[in-house]
Amino acid sequence: MSMSRRGFVGALAVGAGAFSSDTADAGTIEHFEGYPDRYGLLHDTTLCVGCRSCEVACAKVNALPKPKQKAGDLDIFESVRRTTTTAYTVVNRYQEADGETPPVYRKLQCMHCNEPCCAAVCLVHAFTKTPEGPILYDPEVCIGCRYCIMACPYYALAYDYDNPIDPQVLRCTMCYSRIRDGLNPGCADACPAGAITFGRRDDLLKVARDRIRKFPDRYINHVFGEYEFGGTSWLMLAGVPFRELDLHDGVTHESLPAIGTSYLSVVPLIVTIYPGLLAAFYAFTKRKDTLAKRELEAALAQAREDAQEEMKVGLSKAAEKAKKDKERAVETAVKKALAEQGEGGPS
Amino acid sequence: MYHTLFDYLTHTEGATYILIGVFLISFIGFWRFLTEREREE
Amino acid sequence: MSVATADGGRNGIFTPFNLVTGVILLGGAIILTIRFTTGLASTTNLSNTNPWGLWIGFDVMAGVALAAGGFVISSAVFLFGMKEYQSVVRPALLTGFLGYALVVLGLLADLGRPWRLPFPFIKQAGPTSPLFEVSLCVALYLTVLFIETTPAVFEWLGLKWWRQLVGKLTIVLTMFGLILSTMHQSTLGAMYMVTPTKLHPLWYSSQIPVQFFISAIAAGISMIIVEGWVSHSAFHHQAQISDEEFRNINFGLAKGGAVVLVTYLAVKVVALSLENEWRLLATSWGAWYLVELIGFVVAPCILFVVAYRERRLGLARLAAAMTVLGVVLNRFNVTFIAFNWQVPQEMRYAPAWTEVWVTVSLITFAVVVFRWVATRMPIMYDHPDYPALH
Repeated sequence: MSMSRRGFVGALAVGAGAFSSDTADAGTIEHFEGYPDRYGLLHDTTLCVGCRSCEVACAKVNALPKPKQKAGDLDIFESVRRTTTTAYTVVNRYQEADGETPPVYRKLQCMHCNEPCCAAVCLVHAFTKTPEGPILYDPEVCIGCRYCIMACPYYALAYDYDNPIDPQVLRCTMCYSRIRDGLNPGCADACPAGAITFGRRDDLLKVARDRIRKFPDRYINHVFGEYEFGGTSWLMLAGVPFRELDLHDGVTHESLPAIGTSYLSVVPLIVTIYPGLLAAFYAFTKRKDTLAKRELEAALAQAREDAQEEMKVGLSKAAEKAKKDKERAVETAVKKALAEQGEGGPS
Repeated sequence: MYHTLFDYLTHTEGATYILIGVFLISFIGFWRFLTEREREE
Repeated sequence: MSVATADGGRNGIFTPFNLVTGVILLGGAIILTIRFTTGLASTTNLSNTNPWGLWIGFDVMAGVALAAGGFVISSAVFLFGMKEYQSVVRPALLTGFLGYALVVLGLLADLGRPWRLPFPFIKQAGPTSPLFEVSLCVALYLTVLFIETTPAVFEWLGLKWWRQLVGKLTIVLTMFGLILSTMHQSTLGAMYMVTPTKLHPLWYSSQIPVQFFISAIAAGISMIIVEGWVSHSAFHHQAQISDEEFRNINFGLAKGGAVVLVTYLAVKVVALSLENEWRLLATSWGAWYLVELIGFVVAPCILFVVAYRERRLGLARLAAAMTVLGVVLNRFNVTFIAFNWQVPQEMRYAPAWTEVWVTVSLITFAVVVFRWVATRMPIMYDHPDYPALH
């Protein structure tokens, strides 16, 4: 196939034209603030009494079965629970009551991260971060690889392992439809102790810092979720170190999508560099082969020449020897003839 | 305008995949064009 | 080419091999039927804390690494001109193809909705996901491997024109295969970059992609040795190369294995140094890490060195087996042993026997197909009608 120069350049132009960006907004050092005015929730664990009304409300709002254990049943706190396909939120007790010190509880659910790693690792883009703040999941495209569940640092996602036909990833939705209708999330409305506050995330940060300022002995001087792994929509206040609440303390402010996808910039490099590099290796190998072949042929030719030379030299030597033999033979015969003549000559 | 890194990366990485796919296929043409004379021999 | 059976055809179809493999495969089929009719919970120990288990850890992670011999040897022979390994190219490519087929089959068993496997390409793509890159590359590479195994099939079927067509594609396919393999072998490791709080720091590294790629090369080389070890007696009647040549090939591979393993060791030690993790080695997790590093990287490396220097085939084979086990162990560590290391004991994962049975079934299936193909088609030998590939 012979490709004309015009044909090749034409093909390039079509490819390049298909690739124009409409938003030329991107600066070089990107910093993303997230959607402005987005919502969040503030969970003040020092106010939580472990009544689990939020669990009941969440089940009601999401049409899930009511939690089996009632509010007074403290046995449920014996082990640390996680969210399930029928319980999008659970409350755990992380410290038992100790004399004067009250027990410490925390509510678990999807944190609706600013930069969601579930979304970043989903190979069918099933997750979306909405402008209002909640992260949504689209079961219509999900293939069930469960990478999101594996990646979530808060263990917030649950999977329908019992469902062979329509298994879904299930989690707290921050009551997205209720928020859109101007209502509060179910858990925020249900909490009798005021441990859950719903509002704009920026406002909630101010509220949280305000509380810390007003009651420095009550709170650890940190709002969890402000920056951890890029920050979350659920913000936490606590009177004990966050590590004791099963929250990873002191992690980087870099978001997990940034960390998890930083490697992917290598992929285009491999695709663009390998072809030329491998073509060079292949050409080098072929060149070595060609040179080796040429050397071999030259060596063979030389050997043939040398053999012919040897043969010629051998032949001429043999001819010389034959000539000398002949001369000697003639000499001997002449001498013999002369000797015979001398014996039987005229007397 | 992208509000989140995730949306930004979705756009840029998606476009880059297409770009390198086009590059790979074009490279074959490029190479054949470059080495046309070698094949005529 | 007639089919030579191990027992001279006395038992017909009920040879010991067929009986054992048949039972395994039948059991696997039954378990998978239960899995597809009742959901993953009935046949696995997967949970919300441990969404990935043996089927990802072995079938996908280890499977891809062990199938790496295809791209390693084809690149060595066709791109770097190491023609002395020509005779192991076809077995390695067949192993590679069957290995990747095993990966896809394992994935189909593990996915919640396997019928949606093509969705990332036909419905909606998530290009930020390393798994997107892996699935794209694996799909393309499986195609490449498939085409690379067709020359033997066409020779067997006598389809000369087709055989010549695919023969011309060898170099391009080999290059494409090397590009794809570099990418997805690395990216399988990169999938764990997003879990710094869940993977133990001794295994978690910003360099895990490079570590996965290099260990895959070691696994690929070792699998060629192992595959040759098993096949050499089974297919001895087909062999056209002398025992001497066969030994030389193995020693060459041992040499390669030694170099790759020492490189891998250096890369791992550098990661420890860069992330200042020396004191972690003194913990119990550190001891386990050292088992993996010393027992399954350093030890086989030393054995490869001795095997090559002293020309001892047995040592080379032992080293190869240890390397394979070591790569499998590494993938297990990353996937479910050192992963979730901080989770309370009662929530940790161990594979269910049904998961193990399915994995063994898939391996058995690959072995059965390999044997079927190699008995009939020119894999272990060159077809007399066709010149050697390229």
